[in-house]
Amino acid sequence: MLAAQILINALVLGCLYACIAIGFSLVWGVLNVINLIHGSFIVLGAYLAWSLYQGLHISPWYSLAVAAPLFFAFGYVIQRLILNRVITAPVLVTLTLTFGLDLILNNAMIYYFKADYRKLTLTPPMGSVSIFDVVVPVDRLIATVAALALTFVLYLILRRLRVGRAIVAVRLDRDAAVLMGVNVNSIYAIAFGLGAALAGCAGVLMALIFPISPLTSTAYLGKAFVVCVLGGLGSVSGALAGGILLALIEGVGSAMIGPAHATTLSFVLLIVFLILRPQGLLGRKGFE
Amino acid sequence: MMAGFLLRYARLPSSLLVAAGLALSASAALAQDVIKFGAPLPLTGPLAPEAIKQQQGYDLWAEQVNKAGGIAVGGKKYKVEIVYSDYQSNTPRAVQTTEQMISQGGVNFMFSPFGSGAAKAASSVSERYKMPTIASTASSAQVYDQGYKYLFGTFTPNDTLTTPLTKIVKAKAPNVKKVAILARNDLFPLAIAQEMEKSAKANGFEVVYFEKYAIGTLDHSATLSQIKTQAPQWIFVTGYINDLLLVRKQMTDQQIKADVVSMIAGPAYQEFIDAAGPSGENITSAAWWHPAAQYTGKDIFGTTANYVKLFREKYKSDPDYAQASASVSGALFQMAIEKAGTLDKEKVRDALAATDVMTFWGPVKFGATGQINSLEPPVFQLQGGKAVVLSPDIIKQGEFKLGVN
Repeated sequence: MLAAQILINALVLGCLYACIAIGFSLVWGVLNVINLIHGSFIVLGAYLAWSLYQGLHISPWYSLAVAAPLFFAFGYVIQRLILNRVITAPVLVTLTLTFGLDLILNNAMIYYFKADYRKLTLTPPMGSVSIFDVVVPVDRLIATVAALALTFVLYLILRRLRVGRAIVAVRLDRDAAVLMGVNVNSIYAIAFGLGAALAGCAGVLMALIFPISPLTSTAYLGKAFVVCVLGGLGSVSGALAGGILLALIEGVGSAMIGPAHATTLSFVLLIVFLILRPQGLLGRKGFE
Repeated sequence: MMAGFLLRYARLPSSLLVAAGLALSASAALAQDVIKFGAPLPLTGPLAPEAIKQQQGYDLWAEQVNKAGGIAVGGKKYKVEIVYSDYQSNTPRAVQTTEQMISQGGVNFMFSPFGSGAAKAASSVSERYKMPTIASTASSAQVYDQGYKYLFGTFTPNDTLTTPLTKIVKAKAPNVKKVAILARNDLFPLAIAQEMEKSAKANGFEVVYFEKYAIGTLDHSATLSQIKTQAPQWIFVTGYINDLLLVRKQMTDQQIKADVVSMIAGPAYQEFIDAAGPSGENITSAAWWHPAAQYTGKDIFGTTANYVKLFREKYKSDPDYAQASASVSGALFQMAIEKAGTLDKEKVRDALAATDVMTFWGPVKFGATGQINSLEPPVFQLQGGKAVVLSPDIIKQGEFKLGVN
């Protein structure tokens, strides 16, 4: 029974990790930008959900609808006004720029919200469901479903919509896309906006689960990074596979050799992947 | 380096330099009537929230002293000035800053940097310069057992937190036999967990689970599932507010219940109580001080109630042990300086060592190592959204309640 419980825990957590990582993966894959503001975007999304719930009693489920367009616009503007100026520069330049932007956003949040940890607690609490002694918390379950839905929506956008195909085209071959008449700057901004929107939505969902503070942004960023490397950059299904793999390693590792070494184990796995399979589990050049 | 610095600024207009010179000599003149206390703090970086608490504690004391005219030394009143310096949560820089403050900053006395690690690292600098130093947030005995003469501390050793807690559980919850301990793999939380293990074993409890979790752990579900299979009646978790909130949330998620759940060091903070909400009910904890304590002291703050009142007026929130310890450190310096009747470092050091006084913080007397040995830290339990003191008896407010669901 313990094994089943640990497996379920890991599956649910894996979907949450995928949700954290997917926007990061998209931006890295399409723009070749390691977006260090991603963690702070997630925290900002969590604060949005928290503020709407505390102030106006708006359920986090509705906050998702607020977060998506708001963060899309935020991301779009940041890309257009700031990031676009150095987008063709070597990756270290964009890395430094997003690092700087992250410092600004994170410190602004510390200034405005303080570093105190807050918690979004629904009243009444959602509780847990148990099936044959295996317990699954309802909020995590819903967050998992929402994470899967977001992933699916992104998949549909990339697969079915014209703008999605353009994003994939730019990712596959920037120069060829330009020759085909794709407005690359606009596609970059849209991809960055999508990445921010996914981060914001992830933040809303995480607000139900984790304590909220600007200080948690690095933890999210770290997970997103590992998930991307494990799953493969820019791939929607890769993020999901990477997230579940990471959660499984952490969960099983923590049960077998103790929680102190679970993180070590996940980073050992990261190194193994970087050496043996740098493209990740499902990473290919280009989307499906 | 200094020469380069001067060269770089040599191009500044000379009038500016003259003004700067005047300002320097003016502050030198003022310095005659001021006692400067150096306080290196991690004002930025991950420890920033703790530094802000320290700063609040020192500032409140300085404000009260200055309002009362200052510290009396040989018939003359000296104002207090706290000199802060940010060491960016970086311990080697804390040591450098301490040295700079003493050798160039002209401070009269020092407060240690935050926590046991940094306080220990900086204590050798204080010792070298024979600078009386009070550590307001260092509990580990290893900080004080270096044979240093100039270091004093207001936190009792870690075992003074776990032993009274174990005694209460043993006396009030005879059905509790099995204990599970989960510790953050970090200096203070791990040390507390190890003390807990010792005191649990010494009192006849069976420790069925003892594990450490890594700093920055985002998920405890696997660990908690394992703890659940052991069916412990007492779950003891150490960590900081974020860890403990997450563990508590995941305990509820996994429907883990126990007769006793203890957590150190979150419940002493109002933000933990606010964030945990109803899930905090009946969680026990211990801290070096609690605003519910009722001591009548001879220090500038007098009673604990008065300290809490002054703190609320200034900061619109309740103080916790971190802020109170900073304030009492200032008050202890003040009493020692007044008793010594001089700013002579050697004499103030001797006066500190001879301290035996009641304060709003509790009775203060330093042991041979410089660490306080007179304090009995309160054990408390969250009941109805409030912390209720269970021990020691002189400040007890309520009875221990069983059952955390």
